[in-house]
Amino acid sequence: MTQLLSRRTFNNWSTSGLATTALAHLLSRDAQAEPLTHFAPKAKRVVHISLIGGLSHLDSFDYKPQLVRMHGKKLETKEMPDIFFGQVGLLRKPDWTFKPRGKSGLMISDLFPHIANHADDLAVIRSMESDSANHTPALYLGNSGFGFSGFPSVGSWASFGLGSLSEELPTYVVLPDPRGLPNGGASIWSNGFLPAEHQGVVFQSGDSPVRDLFPDTPQKGEVEGRKLLRALNEKHAEHSGADDLLKARMRSYELAARMQLSVPSVADFGSETKETQAMYGLERKETRDFGKNCLLARRLLEKGVRFVQLFSGGPIAGSPRASWDAHENVKENHTAEAGKIDQPVGALMADLKRTGLLKDTLMLFTTEFGRTPFAQSGPDLVGPGRDHNKYAFSVWMAGAGTKSGTVYGMSDEIGWKVAERPVTWHDFHATVLHLLGLNHEKLTFYHNGIQRRLTNVHGEVVKGILA
Amino acid sequence: MRCATLLVTFLFSQQAFGEPPDFDKQIAPLLIQHCMQCHSGTEAKGKLNLMSRATAREVIEPGKADQSEAWLRVAADEMPPKKPLSKTEKDLLKAWIDAGAVWGSDPIDPFSKSNAYRAGRDWWSLQELPSKQAGTNRTIDEFIRAKLKSKGLKPSPPADPRSQIRRLYFDLIGLPPPFEVMESFAKNPTDAAYERIVDQLLASHHYGERWARHWLDVVRYGESDSFERNEPRPNAWHYRDWLIRALNDDMPYDRFAKLQLAGDALEPENPESVKATGFLVAGIHNTVLGSNAAMRATARQDELEDIISAVSQTFLGLTAQCARCHDHKFDPITQADYYRISAALGGVFHGERSIDPPVHQKRRAAINGAIVDLEQQINQLEAMAVERAISQQSQKLAIVQPVARWSFQGQPRDTIGGHDAELKSGARITDGMLVLDGKSAHAMSAPLKKSVQAKTLEAWVSLARLDQGGGGAITLESSSGAVFDSIVFAERQSKRWMAGSNNFARTKDFNGPEETEQGKAIHLVLTTSESGEVRLYRNGKLYGQPYQTSPPPVFKAGDAHVAFGMRHKGGSRAFLGGAVDEARLYDRVLTAAEVKQSFEAGPDANSISREEILQQLTATERKQFQEQQKRLEQLKNEMKTVPKPYAVYATNSKAVPQTFVLARGDVRTPKAEVTAGGIASVGGGHDFGLHSEAAEPLRRKRLAEWIARSDNPLFARVIVNRLWHYHFGVGIVDTPSDFGFNGGRPSHPELLDWLAGELIRRNWSLKAMHKLMVMSTAYRQSSAKRPDAGLIDAENRLLWRKSPARLEAEAIRDSILSASGQLNPQIGGAPFHDVRTYGNAGTKYYEPIDPVGAEFNRRTIYRFSPRGERSAILETFDCPESSALTPRRQVTTTPLQALALWNDHFVLRMSKHLEERILAKGSKSISDQVEQAYHFALSRAPTQDELNLGLEYCSQFGLSAFARVLFNCNEFVVIE
Repeated sequence: MTQLLSRRTFNNWSTSGLATTALAHLLSRDAQAEPLTHFAPKAKRVVHISLIGGLSHLDSFDYKPQLVRMHGKKLETKEMPDIFFGQVGLLRKPDWTFKPRGKSGLMISDLFPHIANHADDLAVIRSMESDSANHTPALYLGNSGFGFSGFPSVGSWASFGLGSLSEELPTYVVLPDPRGLPNGGASIWSNGFLPAEHQGVVFQSGDSPVRDLFPDTPQKGEVEGRKLLRALNEKHAEHSGADDLLKARMRSYELAARMQLSVPSVADFGSETKETQAMYGLERKETRDFGKNCLLARRLLEKGVRFVQLFSGGPIAGSPRASWDAHENVKENHTAEAGKIDQPVGALMADLKRTGLLKDTLMLFTTEFGRTPFAQSGPDLVGPGRDHNKYAFSVWMAGAGTKSGTVYGMSDEIGWKVAERPVTWHDFHATVLHLLGLNHEKLTFYHNGIQRRLTNVHGEVVKGILA
Repeated sequence: MRCATLLVTFLFSQQAFGEPPDFDKQIAPLLIQHCMQCHSGTEAKGKLNLMSRATAREVIEPGKADQSEAWLRVAADEMPPKKPLSKTEKDLLKAWIDAGAVWGSDPIDPFSKSNAYRAGRDWWSLQELPSKQAGTNRTIDEFIRAKLKSKGLKPSPPADPRSQIRRLYFDLIGLPPPFEVMESFAKNPTDAAYERIVDQLLASHHYGERWARHWLDVVRYGESDSFERNEPRPNAWHYRDWLIRALNDDMPYDRFAKLQLAGDALEPENPESVKATGFLVAGIHNTVLGSNAAMRATARQDELEDIISAVSQTFLGLTAQCARCHDHKFDPITQADYYRISAALGGVFHGERSIDPPVHQKRRAAINGAIVDLEQQINQLEAMAVERAISQQSQKLAIVQPVARWSFQGQPRDTIGGHDAELKSGARITDGMLVLDGKSAHAMSAPLKKSVQAKTLEAWVSLARLDQGGGGAITLESSSGAVFDSIVFAERQSKRWMAGSNNFARTKDFNGPEETEQGKAIHLVLTTSESGEVRLYRNGKLYGQPYQTSPPPVFKAGDAHVAFGMRHKGGSRAFLGGAVDEARLYDRVLTAAEVKQSFEAGPDANSISREEILQQLTATERKQFQEQQKRLEQLKNEMKTVPKPYAVYATNSKAVPQTFVLARGDVRTPKAEVTAGGIASVGGGHDFGLHSEAAEPLRRKRLAEWIARSDNPLFARVIVNRLWHYHFGVGIVDTPSDFGFNGGRPSHPELLDWLAGELIRRNWSLKAMHKLMVMSTAYRQSSAKRPDAGLIDAENRLLWRKSPARLEAEAIRDSILSASGQLNPQIGGAPFHDVRTYGNAGTKYYEPIDPVGAEFNRRTIYRFSPRGERSAILETFDCPESSALTPRRQVTTTPLQALALWNDHFVLRMSKHLEERILAKGSKSISDQVEQAYHFALSRAPTQDELNLGLEYCSQFGLSAFARVLFNCNEFVVIE
């Protein structure tokens, strides 16, 4: 407990000084040491697949036979649904067929055939609710628990709570969709008010996967320059009073040098077999981008990265859509988007199982919100698109400590609103932290008047999906 | 732990003596902490109110705990539901009931006294400052020494002269000292010489740049909106420049605060004071709100929370925003207090304001008057000519010819300008009308043949349905559709017409009547003047309220077109269901009379060209006409010499709606109405005595006066503590924007009070306070570590030494520019951009780049600072993202930071410049060159060892490689 406590109090301004804090952390960083958690963790690391734009739960993980029967009927309600464009068309059946999968018989549609192969590993939550039906606030909510920028993301909290498993790689790595950053850009994986080391670090493709890993052009006297730097710093330290700060800076250069070796090696797929690369879909154009990110994710997790976050979908608006925001046509949009990620996600699960990593790796598959059971069209039409639905949507977890092949919660008979056991993002986050061995009410950081938590002042662990 | 220990002694000390527990000291705090969140007030859960004796009696049987429901539920751990009471707490409660449940203050006032759980009105920071005269002759060092002595500590000896000067330069102006200044002081390190340097630095304009940067952190200043669109704010920098000037001028702090809160209300004529209100709207702003009313209202409440939070934390050190949903859990701030402030600030809106000093306005008005007179004369002549021309036509009324005219007679042809249109997505022409299905059908003209700014869009339109929304009748848009102006039906207000524009940039609600005509042609005319006046006419009459907005863009020839039936390219819900009978585009603003004439003339009116009209004039008239035209041209040219109004991002004032306390902060559950006011526990006439319709400016004026007063216990304390924080690394209170229960306690309370008093006694001069602090021996002492002292006070809160500090990101960049001789000293003005701004589907992204050129080598405070990505140096060295208030920066040391400083192209580029700077000195001797590199980078000469090492390295790898090493040295980024 001591180490964890000391790290947290060190970082906590209300009880401690400034610079000394992070330094002590850097100086005491010990990759081999087990992180000291509030209780025994089930998961050591997390891979989070975040779908931008709003996946239709009705067409994927939430089986609604009644909706099929009610196709073309009017939604019977007096309330004005809180949707984005305000058009309430007639009810629309799913565009895909649902089938029972695996031993568990989990109902998953043909939209995700590869993921469906792993049905027996999934814990699907069909009763998610969000506070916002508006993209960017909804994405912030799902990622940080608050509807605006400035709050640390769940990956930053995990990094803050558990520290690093590797000295040579960042603790929290982000792999954006090559089509562009989601709305909100880097603020989505921001450390907020947590120290900068907990910021999500973007890995790009190319020679320098991490910004400034190497100079743009080779420089003279690299190695000797570092030696000189060290020598000058040592001389300076002899008469300086800032000993901890100076030592920490010197150490940061050593770690930087090690990062220069380990980052390119983790990003190099040369050691992966052809079969593995094919399994991730690297040979096919439509799956190549997301497949690369999934394979890279596995390699990063293996090398000790604590939290890897993959985005499926870029900027929200525009035509054609570059995300899951299927206002115009669910069939077309979701076919294209799922075609990019289904095989790679399935491969990642299979690979994590094969390597045994899934035992202590938590997989998260989330989206901003669901889509409406009624079409987004004129009131007498069954248009092909669906609007945003914050009242009910589906996400899933898999791996470490989760109950496999299970469904939690229920939406109403047409999948519009949650009917049973609602789960908020705060509950979801509390559960993620719980699986990491952290009590969401105790993982706090002082900021502007309050001991902040990922879960604000809410959140209950969703016990029903724990193994 | 601190709190818990206190609690135990506090609550149970009397138990030992067998006395019954004291209600006010022991029981009330327990009830407040564990029960009152639910069981208090009018909405108490289970209708049980434990605040007052009478209602609590329902569950308490005095003398008989075992028969009291309250005790039974607590004993069974049913209550409180989530966290049962500890055994000692239970014992206490039982003992109290058994002893007769003697009640104290009734009802319980949770704010009366501070206790182990929360602050009350007796909280230290809410107490008055000692009287004005007290302690005038004291010094900072007296207070520091006394405290050190009480812990058996001694201060450190003075730092060596060079360290003192380096420290002073970075603290006061954020730039390294010139080598010569260091040397000359080192040779003659007298107090007088030190003081001279202090005075010089405080008088330097770099002082304002340095300290404005700190202030921008405190007030969450950013130059884009955040949220989905993250639009830039190209005119936000005026606030930043105002700050720099105000600080350089040593504006008294009370005025400094008042102008930021209400400059526009206090001095509406003074452009500078209007700029100051950029403070209120420096935070994030959501521009995509969806169609749901509750959602929009909630977003507005979120925005007000951001503003209230900035005001209360910046100037009061109180976290008033925590009282939005319930009374503050830790500080004596009620929910009503919060909404009182909300009523004072509820008219503050984000946006740009036009700045136009009266002198310019007057001059413009004079010229304009002459133009209007002249135009009248010209119009008279023209009218006469028009009349003559029309009289020669048939019976029909005629109109003055537009730039383009589409009558949709069989073909979508422009019968005047040749901008023929094309029918798209199922649009068709029937009976001389363009018929639109409201799904995707529209028509689009050929590219514009001439550029258009001031303009009139005209159309006869019939609506297929009144319950449609968002479609455009006629639109002028850039080829990409990214910029447009359009006559739009029912987009923001159902059944009402609107002047649509890109991101609503030139859109305000006309608030005209709801449309009732269906299937019948309506005549609509939208005029947009060059100055940005927007009017809509319906059937010849003005529709709703015209308004003033930003000037319209120039729609360029070849890069713009007219669309019919579609709001803009790529828009969702953009299509109009109905028909267009005729449409016209004019490159000027039609007058009201002309609109009326056109309406009456109808869609198939004859149009007469200008040439035809002018031919009707006699020779004399024509001469007169030409002279008038010439004079008009002159006047217009003269007008161009008067500076135009310019936009600044600052507070936009709108009427404040009635303000209610919102139960649980929910817009759907308004409770009691409140009027503008402050926080009761801060005192000073917190009720502003304004009624619910009070004018917006007056509300903020009162708020500003209530905050910036010398008898406000927090106002002076908070700012002197901020200055202390930046000079000493840690504030006397280590949470500079939180003087409440969750914040730190002052390490030197008497010193804090004395400093606050000094600030007031010195007429709120911040420079006087800086001088006081940096002249103290506490500030000038050595930063060397002393193990003995470290054991007693490891964090150096008592200041037995000067804490060393790492430079902030901005100071590192500025120092590198300065050392390499590249710093561009230009003060103020529009920011330089070291990001590439690009739009992707309506959202702005900011990609860090490393642009080359003197304009980019200005100090970092002049950098365009959108909310999003920053350069690796800024980001890794803890430059805040500016979505939240940052009263205190994080200081981290990470490998990514090392990579940034070692490899970033900016550093490598500047290393080359430092090499050039040295070579320009002319010495061929490498040893001289190393010597100079030290002068420039570290403002000192190298030691013999350093010289030898440098010499060896330079001879092998050159000077720029050596410069890179120096920029990465601990000494370069750590200030002793």
